Amino acid sequence: MALTITCPICGPRNGYEFRYGGEEKGPRPEENNLTPEAWCDYVHLNECVAGVQQEWWFHRDGCGAWFTIFRDTTTNLQTEQPEASQ
Amino acid sequence: MMNRFDHLPTLKIDGNTKIPFEYKGKEYFGVQGDTVATALYANGVRMFARSLKYHRPRGLYSLDGECSNTLMEVDGIPNVRTENTLLKSGMVIKEQNVKGSAAYDLLGFLDKLDWAMPAGFYYHTMHKPAMIWPLAMRQIRKAAGIGKLAPDFQMPGTYDEIYPTADVCVLGGGPAGMSAALAAAEQGLRVILMEARPWLGGHFDYRTAAYKDGQTLHDRAAQLAGEVEKADNIRVFTHTSMVGAYNNNLITGFQIGQDADPFDERYFEIRATAVVVATGCIERALIFDNNERPGVMQANCALRLANTYGLLPGSKAIFSVGHDLGLEAALTLHDLGLAVACIADVREDGQDEGLLTALRERGITVIRGWVAARAHGKQVKKATLTSIDGTATQTLDCDLLVASAGLTPVTGALTVAQAKLRYDNHTGYFLPTELPANMHAAGRMLGLDSGPAIEASGRQAGLQAARDCGTDVDAAIRAVRTEREHLSGPARGTKFVTAPVKGRKSFICFDEDTTIKNVKQAIDKGFDVPELIKRFSGAGLGPGQGGIPGHNLPLYTAKYQALSDITIRPTTVRPPLVPTRIATYAGAQHTMFKQTPMDAMQRRDGGIFRNIGVWQRARYFSEDFTCQAEIENVRKNAGMLDGSTLGKFRIHGPDALKALQRVYVSDMAKVKAGRVKYSAMCNDDGCVIDDGVVVKLADNDYYLTTSTARAGQTVEWVRYHTRYDGWDFALVNLTDSLGVINLSGPNAREVLAKVVDIEVTNEAFGFAEYKEFKIREAIPVRAMRLGFVGELSYELHVPSSYMQSVWIMLKEAGKEFTIRNFGVEAQNVLRMEKGHIILGQESEQRTNLLDVGLGFLWDRHNAAAKKVGAVALRQAESDPSRLKLVGFKMENNGRAPRDGAVIVDQAIRGYVCTARDSFTLKEAVGMALVDADLAKVGTRLAFFEDECDGKLIYGEVVKMPFYDPKGKRMKM
Amino acid sequence: MNALQRISPVGLSGTPLKTEARDHWQVVLEYQDEGQGPYLVDLSHRNRLDLQSSDLASKKPFGMTVPDIPGRSLMDKGILANRMNRTQVSLYHLDGERPDLPAEPEYTDVTEATLFIALIGAPVFSICEKLTALDFMAPDRQPPFLYQGPFAHVPCQMVTLNRDAAQAGLVLTCSRGYGRDMIHAIMGAGEEFGLRPAGESRFTQWFQSL
Repeated sequence: MALTITCPICGPRNGYEFRYGGEEKGPRPEENNLTPEAWCDYVHLNECVAGVQQEWWFHRDGCGAWFTIFRDTTTNLQTEQPEASQ
Repeated sequence: MMNRFDHLPTLKIDGNTKIPFEYKGKEYFGVQGDTVATALYANGVRMFARSLKYHRPRGLYSLDGECSNTLMEVDGIPNVRTENTLLKSGMVIKEQNVKGSAAYDLLGFLDKLDWAMPAGFYYHTMHKPAMIWPLAMRQIRKAAGIGKLAPDFQMPGTYDEIYPTADVCVLGGGPAGMSAALAAAEQGLRVILMEARPWLGGHFDYRTAAYKDGQTLHDRAAQLAGEVEKADNIRVFTHTSMVGAYNNNLITGFQIGQDADPFDERYFEIRATAVVVATGCIERALIFDNNERPGVMQANCALRLANTYGLLPGSKAIFSVGHDLGLEAALTLHDLGLAVACIADVREDGQDEGLLTALRERGITVIRGWVAARAHGKQVKKATLTSIDGTATQTLDCDLLVASAGLTPVTGALTVAQAKLRYDNHTGYFLPTELPANMHAAGRMLGLDSGPAIEASGRQAGLQAARDCGTDVDAAIRAVRTEREHLSGPARGTKFVTAPVKGRKSFICFDEDTTIKNVKQAIDKGFDVPELIKRFSGAGLGPGQGGIPGHNLPLYTAKYQALSDITIRPTTVRPPLVPTRIATYAGAQHTMFKQTPMDAMQRRDGGIFRNIGVWQRARYFSEDFTCQAEIENVRKNAGMLDGSTLGKFRIHGPDALKALQRVYVSDMAKVKAGRVKYSAMCNDDGCVIDDGVVVKLADNDYYLTTSTARAGQTVEWVRYHTRYDGWDFALVNLTDSLGVINLSGPNAREVLAKVVDIEVTNEAFGFAEYKEFKIREAIPVRAMRLGFVGELSYELHVPSSYMQSVWIMLKEAGKEFTIRNFGVEAQNVLRMEKGHIILGQESEQRTNLLDVGLGFLWDRHNAAAKKVGAVALRQAESDPSRLKLVGFKMENNGRAPRDGAVIVDQAIRGYVCTARDSFTLKEAVGMALVDADLAKVGTRLAFFEDECDGKLIYGEVVKMPFYDPKGKRMKM
Repeated sequence: MNALQRISPVGLSGTPLKTEARDHWQVVLEYQDEGQGPYLVDLSHRNRLDLQSSDLASKKPFGMTVPDIPGRSLMDKGILANRMNRTQVSLYHLDGERPDLPAEPEYTDVTEATLFIALIGAPVFSICEKLTALDFMAPDRQPPFLYQGPFAHVPCQMVTLNRDAAQAGLVLTCSRGYGRDMIHAIMGAGEEFGLRPAGESRFTQWFQSL
């Protein structure tokens, strides 16, 4: 409840304006020699960290941008940067 | 009706303006300014309701809704908090939870059966033998809960919503809150001040004790309120309860409308940069036997009845208090004419000397170290007082027992915002130790007692909030800190004391009828912390949201377990902190649906509309929901369907084709100008999520359609799956820009020819071709020849504003063929007969492209494009466990099974997607997803429907399409 | 043969007093009894364009420069340009001759995709706060500025043109399909402030006074 997400274009907004796009996992893997297991891991396996994670959000009700933020999953608060650099 | 005082400066009533209302069928009068509860009290009502479990009589105990004692039915709305609801002319008030009346309740005997209902009794009784549970359940359900609601109840009233913006939001309009608001406002910030009561002033407002320099607390409150009113940048919302606080200082609440307001209640949502919580204190309930009888009330309740509402709360009172406010109340009420038989103060010492002297001068006995042990009578007639050690007792007559253990902070706003509380030995309060960012607490809730100290703490919090908003106030904060050093700090609070009684009828929670004995039972069973006790015994679960048990529960728990330190915390309170109507949450905007440009005309034509996703669409055009006439007209003649909800997009830019290659399963480089390409989109699991057509307008410039349901997500989807690529392309959502007319049937060509100037013969405008032209040299139309319903069919994409004009032209052109509308259901049957799928109907989340037989669309040799879904499809190709889409017809001319019916043998083997009794084919046919081994033509299928009582119906797998298998009709 | 008629998605309950036929639209210039404000004016017949390009800086729609920062708007000769994001600008035609769609493929005519209304009058932002949490009075914004966000729970573009009490006003677009429910929501929220439908002349007069 009551997530506030800072859109890089529109600024801080109610979390309900956005759609979640999952953890940041990097670009789609090359398909040649890709094993089914590796593909499944890319699509479905998540780190689910209890702490700060980088994740994708789409500003559905606003500017229509996809962007990433860092969010502390234990507090639901956005942070400026990944945990390691804090 | 009791006489009202009319000379007190603190009064909020106008005794001369009488307000009529109905109570239990009779007319009574209150006065302007009364709450429902005070008006009833003024009319001699003492028993307001019966309690939840034991049906004990309950009366006016508090005035801020701390308990459910005075919940009543008002104007047909159950569970109205009469303490917080202002009386309005003509209100109809009823008791609830009574069989008979509150005074004579036939279920009152339950109070004697408390031995049979120990804490958690429903967990460990009535489950053995299992057969008694259904019987017991029915009885318990009948008895459980308070207030009655008919299933067809419509909530009366006007509900609104508001999302005001503020830099600083101050919760609580008492002295600390007002001081905080003023301090923040002086910095030029936008401030919102929320106060649940109808006026500002908090506990200053109803007290005439000295503030300082000869000014009374009441006058001081009025002075501060005046300053707040003068400040342009403070918005004051009275009658406004805060109900929730969330991350990043999102505050929710609701306001109760007054006569001049255009709403009955309105929902509030404020996102403030900083929040000041100054919610003050309530009284901690004194625990003794029968401590919730009518006639027992809190000290501030007794005092406010007199000072605010002009009502002397009784004739002869006993006070059992633990705080100077109790002594002040006794003194004030004595001077107003209340006979005070005796004051028992649980404190051995530490009382205000001035108050003691004043009481002594009036001949009022104050016994220190004594406490009430028992109230006698259904409505209090006598009270037994005892020394705390229980060695001495005395019983005195009275009709009012003012009982208060002391004060306790209202920490709900802090705890819902995830603040941490810790017990403080000096004040005896649970005080905040860790506050969320940009949230500050102030005032009496921190244990402060003196007026100037409370205000200074408010000012400090207001300045801190201002600093959170980026103003430079460090010097001012230092100054307040210095000022506070010269003011008194937190006062020593009253220790937790209970009367030396067994506690069988000592209630720690009034709402849930939880006694001290119940709490002991819970702890003895091992539920030794408040969170567990709450769930086992119910203490704190009621509508009062822990207002009565609140901090008593952890204190008692610690005491009973003889803990040396109070490390136990109060239970977690959750929003809504104040009972809130669902209607209030729902607010003003109940329906936000999209209409197509044909909406009004189709309604005039008898369209029966249904909500479909974000749209409202015409599903039927007659009361015959089989749509026989609509279907037959399309098959034999010509029909028009409004397909405007279809998703429509333009994609252009240097990398537009690359983007299409990524999200569509087909090779989009093969899309030819002037041709319509049908394709589908999958997700990363290969599951088919969308289908539609793509038209090439120019190089790297395409027009595409999506299904109605996917239109809202298409831009998001394409951008998501290309987000790492840095491709340069643009998407324009034209869904609402163009209406769609689906003109179908053997006579469609003749109809169209009369309206357009282009050649529409099969040679000039063939199947799967795309044309752009203008109607009457004004209306640009995009036309496609498709065949979704299995007939000759034109899909015209027309600018939305011109839709009605074009529709009328076609209708008039089609008059000679008796053209008519068809709706979504007719289309559904028509396309099913033709074996065309609708995603979401012939597919669900797990259905992939191959399952529904669309594998031919897939360009499997383009790994470089990294098509979404391709990897998973490659895997699924060799997976034998997947379902297959098949057609079936029913045996012996039987009826069609219902959509969603499951296909069974010894196990569930599939389910029906769409099935109908087909008028065209004169038999029942349908499509189903079945296990691969059942997919062979000729396989017998057994259908199990909900509540079919074991009676299966049978069909057989047949070839699809059912209708026009060669596809001649749509290409004619 | 029936005359061609373009239908606005905005249906207002007032009685038209003066109308004008324009490009098959029946534009209401004035309603009976428009009151003292605030006003709701239907501008759906006025053109809106979508401009998308990875090189917006080089684009000069109708000779004007597009705003460089998302959320900013610029006004020039009756055209309002609103920077939506890195690559996208919306253009609204508010006053003067109707501009033609530029020939470059980066432009799309989206007039038909949305409804377009103006809310003008002193209390319009009090009406807005009943429909959206967006802060039109944010001190860090200078009119004209664009908000993209929910209004009556529907995604909208809102451009605040002026927020001084005497001349306050904004224009708003949202998906055309929401016409009925959006107008219902706004008229409902504005009822307590006396919000009334007004004709295009009211808007033009106000716009030219800015």
